[in-house]
Amino acid sequence: MATSAIRVEKLEKVFGEGQTEVRAVRGVDLEVEPGEVVLIMGPSGSGKTTLLSMLGAMLRPTSGQIWVDGTNLTALPEAKLPELRARRFGFVFQDFNLLSALSARENVELALNFAGWWGRQARERAERLLGDFGLGERLSFRPDKLSGGEKQRVAIARALANEPAVILADEPTANLDSKIGHEIVRLLRRAATEQKRSVVIVSHDTRLKEAADRVLWLEDGEFRAMSQMATDPVCGMSVEREGTFHFVHDGQTWFFCSAQCRDEFAGVPERFRQGAVVAGAGRRP
Amino acid sequence: MGRVPVGRRNLFAERRRAALGIAGVAASFLMVLALDGIVNGATRELTRYIDTSPADVFVAQRGVTNMHMASSWLPLANVKEIRALPSVSWADPILYAPDALTTPTGQQLTYVIGYQPGGRGGPITLSAGSDPGPGEIVIDAQAAQDLRLAVEGSVSVLGRTWRISGLTSGLTNIANTVAFVRFEDFAGSRRVPDIASYILVGGSVSPDSLARRIEANTELTALPRAGFSEQEGALARDMSAQVLQIMTLAAFLIGLAIIGLVLYTATLSRLQEIGVMKALGAMPRRLAVVVLSQALWTVGMALALALVLAFSLSWVLARSAGNITIAFGASAVVPVALGGVVVGVLGAVAPVIRVRRVDPVSVFRR
Repeated sequence: MATSAIRVEKLEKVFGEGQTEVRAVRGVDLEVEPGEVVLIMGPSGSGKTTLLSMLGAMLRPTSGQIWVDGTNLTALPEAKLPELRARRFGFVFQDFNLLSALSARENVELALNFAGWWGRQARERAERLLGDFGLGERLSFRPDKLSGGEKQRVAIARALANEPAVILADEPTANLDSKIGHEIVRLLRRAATEQKRSVVIVSHDTRLKEAADRVLWLEDGEFRAMSQMATDPVCGMSVEREGTFHFVHDGQTWFFCSAQCRDEFAGVPERFRQGAVVAGAGRRP
Repeated sequence: MGRVPVGRRNLFAERRRAALGIAGVAASFLMVLALDGIVNGATRELTRYIDTSPADVFVAQRGVTNMHMASSWLPLANVKEIRALPSVSWADPILYAPDALTTPTGQQLTYVIGYQPGGRGGPITLSAGSDPGPGEIVIDAQAAQDLRLAVEGSVSVLGRTWRISGLTSGLTNIANTVAFVRFEDFAGSRRVPDIASYILVGGSVSPDSLARRIEANTELTALPRAGFSEQEGALARDMSAQVLQIMTLAAFLIGLAIIGLVLYTATLSRLQEIGVMKALGAMPRRLAVVVLSQALWTVGMALALALVLAFSLSWVLARSAGNITIAFGASAVVPVALGGVVVGVLGAVAPVIRVRRVDPVSVFRR
């Protein structure tokens, strides 16, 4: 077995059957090394969430294999999956998903409880982690008393608490302003670089490309080459070059996610031209 | 084991819901405790005449083991027969009949006791007035208050009118009271000469030995005072048992509905968080414990609140309604606590099933 933290082979997920059959993920192959940050992007309904759910041992694939830290998830019985999630994975969700009745410390401590850490040992580890993230003065605060950035830092501390091999992050910068979003990306990058954790991020946020070692584009359940992608200069989304919405200005063709973005660009092109970046920095697995 | 108390935190995070749930369940527990306490209190008061009697043994017609709703008739000759037995220090007859004290303003059910002046079986203490003379009656002060009577007033019972000579205390309960007249007046009113209802006996040996000796030498039934009182109380409890059981069941069902509803709504409001816990690796058993601990905290707090309210109610009733006594004890609290645990566990069943159905993938769905 290779040293990959995650290895996925010919992963398929089909929902429904007959006329209602939907192939959400189609023959995906992927390897993520320890310490690597992989960003998966794609339009809504492309299969990102389904792929993330299968990588996180929450959803059974229809076919294919997933190895995490040397363990074949697809071969494990259902009853073993919660323990595997508790010990091998760290999760960062959109909207933070902290438990509202628990304090910051208890939110982290609870993840440690699930991973087999109890009592003072768990409490002290939770306090240390939150202290490292600058939340030492917020230990007893419940989520409704924390700012968005503080909540997400608690969520990342929770994800790192059990010393996971893999961190799966679902839109970790959504609902955060650019400064806090940048800080969250930095924390995830640091976890990968310094602690050799593999980080898989699913996001629409193109700013995350800066922190990623690889950027993958998922569409219709398949990875596609990022070289075929461009960035919508208005909203920043990655879009296919063969997309319907494009506009030629000053001898250059621009691509858009929607007619609305195209029309907005066409009104005052100079306003958007400077920030436009053509995508394609990613490499395929 | 030092785990984060998620259930307790969830319960008390929404204080209004927790307070309503606890108050509702406490009300159902209070209903059970108060009913049981009132029946126990009434039973205790019902046997007070027997419990405070100087007799070691109560002797009755063969087969009769209590007073309430019983008919016991003995020839007075049995009194002499018993007095002649070894170890018998004294033996005095009483006449007994259930009836009603009647005045122009109302009625009060009563046990009427006819006793011989100078003998045992009459009032132990008088709070006012004197022992009954011919044509006179002693009634309980609470009954006198309820019927707006006083010493030297008059009241009808046993088919005639009596002058009140004195008042006793502590012999009125929610069901009835006790009144005392002279033996010969009672016999004359009921036209039962040379007959007694019961014979009260004191002796120089233990009550059990004395009772056995009387039964061995007569054709009568003899019971130690404690046993006679127990029989009397058991009969009263049996009479109220069915009503008590129905009311208790109804109260527990109300408690079950409240706790089930509170837990279920609390669970529904946290399905997303339950999904998060599942995603983070919570085992189904741990999530069941989270729900169950909320149920048990609700039951525990409700029981504590119900006990405080029950004792407060007892205190208030003792000062405002003298004929209602609430008697609490471990015998009432322990079954309510155990019943509460059962209610809590049953109330947690539907929420636990709902929790099991939560898909951890739901945390990614928006």
